[in-house]
Amino acid sequence: MKEIEREISQDRRTFIKKVLGGSIAGSLLLVIPAGAMDLSRIPEQIPGMRQEEGPFIQGKKFAFIVDITRCIGCGSCCVADKNEYKVPDGNYRTWVERYIIDDHDNVYVDSPNGGLDGYQEPRQDLPYPVRDTFFVPKLCNMCEHPSCVQVCPVGATFQTKDGFVLIDSKRCVGCGYCVQACPYSVRFINPETRTADKCTWCYHRVRKGLLPACVNVCPVQARKFGDLNDHESEVYKILHQPHVISVLKPDMGNKPSLHYVGLRREVV
Amino acid sequence: MLLVIIIVAGVVVRGKVLPKSFGQYGHYRGDAIFDEMQRPIRNGTNASCLVCHPYIREMHLSGVHHTVSCEFCHGPVADHVKDGKVIAKLPKKQGKEIKRLCLRCHNQIIRARPKESIKMISMPQHLEEKHVRTDHICNQCHNVHAPLMWVKQARAMVGVEEDSK
Repeated sequence: MKEIEREISQDRRTFIKKVLGGSIAGSLLLVIPAGAMDLSRIPEQIPGMRQEEGPFIQGKKFAFIVDITRCIGCGSCCVADKNEYKVPDGNYRTWVERYIIDDHDNVYVDSPNGGLDGYQEPRQDLPYPVRDTFFVPKLCNMCEHPSCVQVCPVGATFQTKDGFVLIDSKRCVGCGYCVQACPYSVRFINPETRTADKCTWCYHRVRKGLLPACVNVCPVQARKFGDLNDHESEVYKILHQPHVISVLKPDMGNKPSLHYVGLRREVV
Repeated sequence: MLLVIIIVAGVVVRGKVLPKSFGQYGHYRGDAIFDEMQRPIRNGTNASCLVCHPYIREMHLSGVHHTVSCEFCHGPVADHVKDGKVIAKLPKKQGKEIKRLCLRCHNQIIRARPKESIKMISMPQHLEEKHVRTDHICNQCHNVHAPLMWVKQARAMVGVEEDSK
């Protein structure tokens, strides 16, 4: 009998110890602040990226694909992009252009506020009936041979070994050579920092396993981002199967990593 | 002799002026990669919103709007939660703003919506067809998270077969 009592009291002691320990640990969890964005609560969208520590991404080759046949011109991507980077008004890291073709084969292109407010109104100033309309989202082409990097006099814009063309805003002197050199006009001088700025394919998100902000919000999957070394990925399948695929201004020789599905004669 | 002095002075000045990690990986400041990596993430994903909003989660994922981003309408999660705590309420669109938001995608008059992907309507013809007043706002009939939820419920209640449109 005594033995049993002893056992219970011993158990009680360990029980109380455990309860106390647990509650202290639990309350500490509430006090310790989590990071700016609690990434552990957001599932990884690009598997394996959160283990990458080094300066370059190992074993992955990212590509960006825009499917023009899917884009509905809602401007979700533009809104997400502005929110992500607090892009000053009047500047666009990504934008959506509207192409209108009338029945005399005249082409009209517009992009009011970069597509940030969406396209609510048809164009009123066209002399002939509209034959076709489509949207073309634009962003950094992440060229394999970037002309912007070549012209930078201070080494402020550079290409990482994993293929991202980035800007070092601490080093940039704002001379604007790169803005002139980019064949795709994706660069601008940020009026707040007075340095060059452009789309980075959301490098900071990708390194933390998230898709670029614009890809993440696209409701019709017109923007796709993925690893070309993964033969099961959607981007690999699109680029290795019969599709109408092209890049912008191929004759410039920049070899963009941004591909367009259904790109049309009027755009190239 | 002078040439040697100039070269030595040049090398010394260059070493002083250039940042430490310059040239580590190429003709740029190596630490710039890490600077860019540390840029704060402001947009989350739908998963990051829905983890705390289970009721909305159920609605949003059940309907055809499950691919629509929460942050497109409500704003970035970084304005709402910081260090695991709610810092501010995100705005909810109201009235005419809702209609404007809906028509960003569903406006037939733009004539550029790939037909197979989403439903399109013309205003105010859609309201006239449904025999409601033309100043109605979309969310009076359509739940913005699951657009057909109320419509389906109403049909079930009165026992009307789903029409072809």
